[in-house]
Amino acid sequence: MLPESNIAIQTHQLSKTIGTRRVLREIDWSIAKGECVALLGDNGAGKTTLLRCLAGSLQPTAGQVRWFGQAVSSDVRQRRIIGMVAHESRLYQPLTVRENLLFAARMHSLSDPMKRCDEVLDRVELGFCADRPTREISKGMCQRLSLARALIHDPPILLLDEPFSGLDSAGCDWLLDMLRDRRSEGRAICFSTHGDDWKHVADRVTRLKDGALLRANAIGDATAGDALRSAG
Amino acid sequence: MASKLWWLIHKDLMIEYRTRQTWTSMLLLCVIIAVVFSLQVKLPMEHRTATVSTMLWLAIIFASQVVVERTGIAEHQDGCWDALTQYPVSASTIYLAKLIVNLVAILALNCVMVPLFVVLTDVPLLLHAGAMSLVIGLGSLSVAAIGTLVSAATFGQRQRGAVLSLLALPLVLPVLLSASEATRLAATNDLGNQWWRWVQFLGAFTIVFVTLGIVLFGAMIEE
Repeated sequence: MLPESNIAIQTHQLSKTIGTRRVLREIDWSIAKGECVALLGDNGAGKTTLLRCLAGSLQPTAGQVRWFGQAVSSDVRQRRIIGMVAHESRLYQPLTVRENLLFAARMHSLSDPMKRCDEVLDRVELGFCADRPTREISKGMCQRLSLARALIHDPPILLLDEPFSGLDSAGCDWLLDMLRDRRSEGRAICFSTHGDDWKHVADRVTRLKDGALLRANAIGDATAGDALRSAG
Repeated sequence: MASKLWWLIHKDLMIEYRTRQTWTSMLLLCVIIAVVFSLQVKLPMEHRTATVSTMLWLAIIFASQVVVERTGIAEHQDGCWDALTQYPVSASTIYLAKLIVNLVAILALNCVMVPLFVVLTDVPLLLHAGAMSLVIGLGSLSVAAIGTLVSAATFGQRQRGAVLSLLALPLVLPVLLSASEATRLAATNDLGNQWWRWVQFLGAFTIVFVTLGIVLFGAMIEE
């Protein structure tokens, strides 16, 4: 059990029903500061729904999500805690790379949005195409831009939904380095994936099956716990 | 809030400037209605004024459905809406931004449509330009307020366009009635008590729907 002050995200009996289907079932879970957790599971296991509940963009049917000990509320200022890279790009295609980032920076009320954009663009190595329309850049570059958008306000919690999909091996290596850097800065990271990329960066792996959390494992024990369902 | 509101509006107008999807469709629809109507309807001036006033507002209401639907579609592509609702921005700010963007489009449409109807039908819609501007301002604002609110209620629905029309059109009937009557009276040089009562009704309706939008938008977009 982690000490309360060290917990970035915590869920308590988190359940989500969409229509008549129970997508998430009574999930008790936590992620510590500076921890990188991989979320595995088959298609339809509930990974995206769990990430969206953790991000506060989906209201749980029952249970609670807490960020740094605070229950997620309707206070919009709380949203600065989260940076999310979703399965879709969430980018405005007619706007340029820089305009997309500037818009995000302005929505977060950053003091010098232009300077911050340039810093983040350099960090994700997209400075060379900053003035190109987003619709003209490749899928891998879109993925980098999505990550840049999630990092623009320097959030302490980073949630990523299948961030490796559509990336070539160089792109995957780049993303792994980026995640390691964020983790070393003390950010809490949770990402869902289908591949084996998690082995290179995750401190812990958690599997979802039919909306229920299987035993959370340390890396060396990743498969042994699959059969064991745990309450947390 | 004012700064975020401005940048939300700026973003939508920039996207429209680059894609020219919404304004082109709405203008085309209205010009076709105006031209076909003016060619087909031959009535004495007294009846023509009443019919033109109603046709003008019908055209504006139908075109506003195009505006509201298109701005919603643009926001929903690639999950942009989810990102927007995750920024530290209140739902009422998002509503006001969408309302203003839709209002700007509808007002621009009016700037084309009113002179076009005057030229094509000879009805003196701009006889009292100030009074007409008031009616157009209030009517456009209420149509935009209703459209923006109903648009939020239909986010993520299949057959969104049909559902949007089904929900919005009954709600805009009072706007159609009061704006058409106020327009007819202004065009017939009758700015008496009756005209003022229609304007007051239109104003009250506008206030109700803008307030409802600010209050309810958050609940409507929650999931």
